[in-house]
Parts: sequence; structure tokens; C-alpha cells
Amino acid sequence: MNVDKMHLLEESVTELPPPLGGRVKAIGFGVGILGLASASVLGYLQEDHYTRFSFSYLIAWAFFLSITLGALFFVTLQHVTRAGWSVVVRRLAEGLSSQALLMALLSLPLIVPLAMGNHALFSWADHGAVEADHMLHHKAPYLNVGFFIARCVVYFVAWILMARFFFKNSLRQDGSKDPALTLRSERGSAPLMFVYAITVTFAAIDFLMSLEPHWFSTIFGVYFFAGCLVSFFATLILTGLWLNSQGVLRGAIHVEHYHDLGKLLFAFNFFWGYIAFSQFMLIWYANIPEETFWYLTRQEGGWITVALLLIFGHFIIPFVGLISRHAKRRTKILAFWAIWLLAMHWVDLFYLAAPALASRLKDGALAAGTLPLGLLDVACFVGVGGMYLAFFAVTMQKKRLVPWGDPRLNESLNFENA
Amino acid sequence: MHETTSTSVDLKPKDGGLLAQFKNPTALAAACEKVRDAGYKKWDAHSPFPIHGLDPSVGIRPTRLPWLIFGAGITGTSVAILLQWWTNAVNYTFSISGKPFFSLPANIPIAFELTVLFAALTAFFATLGRNGLPRLHHPLFNSERFLRATSDGFFIAISSDDPGYRPDSTRALLEAAGAEAVEHMEDDSQINAKLPRPLTIVLVTAFVLGFIPLGVIARARTNTSPKPRIHVVPDMDSQPMFKAQAAFSGFSGFADQRAMRQPVAGTVAMGDRHLDEHLTQGIVDGAFATTLPSEIPMTRSTLERGRQRFNIYCAPCHGEAGYGDGMVAQRAQALGSPKWVPPTNLHEPRLRSQPFGQMFNTITHGIRNMPAYGHAIPAKDRWAIAAYLGALQLSQNAPLSAVPQEQRAALK
Repeated sequence: MNVDKMHLLEESVTELPPPLGGRVKAIGFGVGILGLASASVLGYLQEDHYTRFSFSYLIAWAFFLSITLGALFFVTLQHVTRAGWSVVVRRLAEGLSSQALLMALLSLPLIVPLAMGNHALFSWADHGAVEADHMLHHKAPYLNVGFFIARCVVYFVAWILMARFFFKNSLRQDGSKDPALTLRSERGSAPLMFVYAITVTFAAIDFLMSLEPHWFSTIFGVYFFAGCLVSFFATLILTGLWLNSQGVLRGAIHVEHYHDLGKLLFAFNFFWGYIAFSQFMLIWYANIPEETFWYLTRQEGGWITVALLLIFGHFIIPFVGLISRHAKRRTKILAFWAIWLLAMHWVDLFYLAAPALASRLKDGALAAGTLPLGLLDVACFVGVGGMYLAFFAVTMQKKRLVPWGDPRLNESLNFENA
Repeated sequence: MHETTSTSVDLKPKDGGLLAQFKNPTALAAACEKVRDAGYKKWDAHSPFPIHGLDPSVGIRPTRLPWLIFGAGITGTSVAILLQWWTNAVNYTFSISGKPFFSLPANIPIAFELTVLFAALTAFFATLGRNGLPRLHHPLFNSERFLRATSDGFFIAISSDDPGYRPDSTRALLEAAGAEAVEHMEDDSQINAKLPRPLTIVLVTAFVLGFIPLGVIARARTNTSPKPRIHVVPDMDSQPMFKAQAAFSGFSGFADQRAMRQPVAGTVAMGDRHLDEHLTQGIVDGAFATTLPSEIPMTRSTLERGRQRFNIYCAPCHGEAGYGDGMVAQRAQALGSPKWVPPTNLHEPRLRSQPFGQMFNTITHGIRNMPAYGHAIPAKDRWAIAAYLGALQLSQNAPLSAVPQEQRAALK
């Protein structure tokens, strides 16, 4: 029984008001440039050829990349399933997925040094190490600088074009209200889902798994993907709630939508736990040294604390906290868990990437089991995050924040959880 | 001819309550609020499709089902963990490579499955139970009008069991609430809710017959029988087959009644080295060989190969130095399992005096609780291990005279 609820939108603010957008941009750019500048200074002061900087920057960059990729999956999935409920939040997801272009630009501090022969981040780029190491030598046809950069180009071109395809279709529909554009997106979505799956899997292998090139896990791509979705849903919930609090889209995105986004956040967080355990259990059970060393380094010294923090903080505590319908429908509780899980997602990426740092530094520079935490991580996170926020505001300015011409918009406004 | 039935007086249909039809969902929702506010408890609204927001109008409180399901899920987790802990760590401890008897990661998949199973079954049966299902008949089904509840009819049904139910005042309430039509429901469940007689007979018979297999099983478990057991699939249990090279009296395939020809005298099949007793069994003239076979030269590369294979296959139990203190042995020792037989110290005098052939034989066939490695390690590698073992034993028991002159001073 869909009654006409378009008046909800007509009564509400559906664009980012210029003063608000301007403020977000100013803060984002200010914080971003300050963060990146201080990160480079801090990185230089380490006197380790930017090794610590590279790791901190990679973690911050991967954090915001995962939000972008989660958004890209969400948009694709809504078209594959012809979803009606999610139309009012889809534009925000389209905007987040369009940050693939920004993420490609921000990947340059990782890729340019690699192309110039720096192997601070990736030990497989060190010719001497590859010659001395049979395993690295064996993997060199895949793990070499030229092919790595070629793959990066493929990933970013695929993600940017995918995001553009859905976003442009949706924006054109704002004016024309042409349902054929929806059909176009829907037809494209299923094949693009395959492209997405393959590129995200290999990107996870390249950017995170290859930090320890001896180690391999065939489920790693799925693990990263699960993290992408968790961080994206948390971000989308917070973005929507913040816009509502500023009087934007008030009444359009309502508790029923947050309830559903909360369900997805809960479900994908459980999925993350399921995948994380699946990866762990097979390696634990087989007990083969060439696989177990990865977990062994993550159980030494401070790393065991991080591992336990992930088991309890990323999985068990939010599981209990988010399982109730009550928690998902109270926006304050939901916002709390969204912030909590974003923090845990950063810890997860830190757990994946940072243990490799000790082997890159000079002997004794970082004792085994010591957590390489510092101001550099804060500076990189704030820097990349500020730029992300500012570019998101730039993307969304002078645009409707809901897909105005989508034929299912009214259905979405009417959406209620049974 | 109209036959008079023996239906007694008390089986006449009772007053089942009132059924009111409404024009559309909005009218239904408005009427529900009136009925709710009038304090009725045993009533329900019916529509062809779910109407969002009707639950509060009917006054349905949030369901308590999630708590039941959550409890069942936790119970499933606990049952799974306890079951695995009791079977593996208490009731039947069995040391596998000295691994711990109870280790949480191994138990998570079962715990996960039982959590889901308990929660799902509870969700299913508790939903049925709390809705009073399964139920064979309902007074609503007597109403012709109610058939439209699956297409375009919107109804409120108030049961006569409701304490506030009065045929006249309740009807007045429904009419005032905007009902298009109000009708009495006949509660004939006492008549119609009876199972049909043939179905009753079938169910009772099946129930009684169900005890026969149980009885047979109980008897078989408590008695012994002189009769041969029943072969359900006889051709699986007793297959017609011949033993190679044995004579069968009923078989007429070959003149000598054998099932298979013997190899031509003096031939060796491809890959069949069994004739070389030294290489394949470690035996020379009926006794264990004291030397390596001619194919295995006592060279540095043989010993290196032997060390590599030893460290892969033997060291986990026997230790890299051969003192029987490998990682598996250490872990089993720590567990203190009474069933564990510790691996042998390879430097015992008894083993030091063993000929190469006997070491080879032990590796091939295993001994006590050491498994056989004949299938896993090729014969040449087994010899290499035996050769390395000789070197290892010598290294721990060498006389001073075996050390080169110029290095003896360092040892003193």
C-alpha cells in the first residue's frame, strides 16, 4: 500500500546547503593538507627512507579505499536486486563510490616510490632479496613492479568507470525521470559485479597480502571485502544521521532505513567474523609452518592484544550490541556502534599491514611484538580522511542528495520493516 | 432416505463470536483502534496483505520470540562446547600427535552449527506454539464471506471466548466502527475438529506398528542368536572372488583350477623389485643387512638427503638429535596421557648395534605405535635415512680416536 509520500522530500532539504557544504570543504581541505604535510614531516624525521610513513599511509589509504569499495558494491547490488527500499540512501553511496578517483590520486605516494625503485613497503620489489629467496624468485612473474603497476591501473580504471556509470545514469535521471536509465543500470550491474569481485580480490592480495609475500591465503580477498562492507555501512549510517541532524533529508531517510542499514551492518560484521575465523581455522588446523608464521607473528608481544581486541571488539561485543531490533532503531545506539566498528576496521587494517614493518626496518629498530603506533598514524589518517571528506562534499555539491528521478523513490519513502 | 445421525445434543454448534467486514485497510485500521480501546483481548484482524502500522492499532505487543530464540542459540553454543569437551577431553581421550585434547578453535564450527540449529528450530516451533498451531479447524472457516480474506476482504473477528464479549453490545460496537457487514461465527470445532475415522485408524495402527522395530532392536541387543545374521545386501557381504594363485575346486577357467596364471619363469614385471631383497626389504641371506645396498653409495649427498628426510619425517617425534624429544613427544609428555608410548631414544645401545637392514625394516613397517612409512618414503630415501641415522649415532658416541688429531685438543 504505497501512498504518495513525495511531499516528504518537497518539505525537506534535499541538497547540501552551500554554507554547510563550504564549511565541510574548508574543514576537510584544511585538516587534510595539514595532516598530509605533518605526516610527510614526521615521516622524514624517522630517517628510515619513509618506511614507517609508507605503512601508516597505506593503512589510512586502505581504510578510505575500503569505504569507497563498499559503497561501489552496495550501489551495484541495489541494481542487481532491483531494490526499492534503498533508493533514498543510494545517492550518498554513489557519491562515496565516486571517490575511487580520489583514491587513485592518493595511491600515488605508494606507487610512485615503488616505480622509482623504493622497496620500503613491498619486499618483493627488492631485487637483492628476490635473488636470494627461492619463494620470492618463484613468485616474481606475478609480484614485480611493472605488473603490479599495470594491475593498479586496471583496478582504478575499472572502479572509476563503474562508479561513473551508475552515478551518471542516476544524475541524468534527476532531470529526465526516465525509467529506461534505471533499466540501463540494472542491465549493467550483474556483469559489473564480476568485474568488482575480481578486482577487489586481487587488489586486496596486492596491497595488503603481498606485504608478507611468503604468506598466502585464498580467502584473503573475501576477508578484505567483508571489511569494506562493514566500514561502508557504518559510514553511510553516520553520513545519513549527520545530514539529518543538519536538517538535510529529514523525514526522507527515516528510522526504517536506518533499521535496515543496521541489519546489513550487523550481517556483514558477522560475515567478517565468519570469514576471519574460516581463514584462521584452516591454517591453525593444517599447522604448516609456511602458513602459520603469519598468525604466529600476530600472537607475539603486543600483537596478541590486537588480535583479542579484534575477536571481542570487532566481532563478539558488536554482535551482542547490534543483534536487537531495539538497538538498530535507536539512532543514537546505532551511531555508537557505527563509530565503534569504524574504529575496529582501522584496527583490522593495522593488524593486517603493520606487523610486516619490523622486517623492513633496520635490525633492532622495532623489537618483535612492539606495536608501531604513533603520531604518524594519526597524521596519515587525518590527512587522507580530510581529503576524503572534502572531495565527498565537492562531489555532492549542487546535486540532489536523493535520486530524484528514480521510479522507486516513492516506494523507498514508504518503506517499512514488517 | 434421510438417515438420522446419533449426534448428541451437546455437539450442536456454539456461538463462536462475531465476524465484521470492512471496506478498505484504512477503515479496518480505524475499527481496530476502537475494538482495542473497548478492551477486547481475544480478537484478530485479517487482510489479504500485510498492512504496515496495523500492529499498534490491534494492540499487539512486541513479540517475546527473539528472547526465546536468543536463549536457544546460547544453549546450542553451550551444548556443542560441552559435548565436544566431554567426548574429547573427558570420556575418550585420544592423543593425536600430542595435540591438546580440547582446543577451542576446533570446536567453533560445531558450536556455530548447533547455535543455528537450536535457534532455528526454536523459532519454528515457538512460532507455531505461540500461535496455537497446528490446529485442525477454526470457526472462521465456516464463513462464506471470510473466503475473501485472501483476495479483497478486510475483517475483524472477535471470539466468544473474550471476557468482554456480549452478542448484542459487541455487534453494536462493530457496526458503530464502520463495518459493512457483521455475522455470527458458528463454533462447530467440537464436531468438525475430530479427525476423520479412517485417518484415526491409520495413525493408531502406524503408532502401534512403530513399536515392532523398537522391540526387535531391543531383543537383538539383549539376546544372542545362533542363527547367521541377516544379509540385507548379500552380494556386498559375500562377493564371489578368487585369490590370486590359489586353486578353487569349482573353477574351470584354467586346467589347474587356478584363477590366474603364474608369471613366466625367470621374468620380473615392470617396476617390481621385490626380487632384490637387500634393496626392498633390507635382508641378505635371511638376516638383516649390515651394509647399504649397492644402489645407495655411502656419500656426502646420500647423508645430506638422509638428514633432510629425517628432519621431515622422524624429527617431529624423535627430535633432530634423535633423543626421542621431538615437538610431538614434548607436547604429549606435557599432556600426561597414560595411553602415550614415548618415542625411542635412537642413541640407546640396543639401537646403536642394530644393522642398517633392521633400521630400514623399522622405517618401512613401523614398530609399536610408530606408524609404517613404507608407503610415504621411497625405498632409496629410507636407506638414506638409515645411513644418516648411523652417522647421527656415531656423532653422539664417537671415541676420541675417531676425531682428527689436530681437533682433539679442542675437545679436552
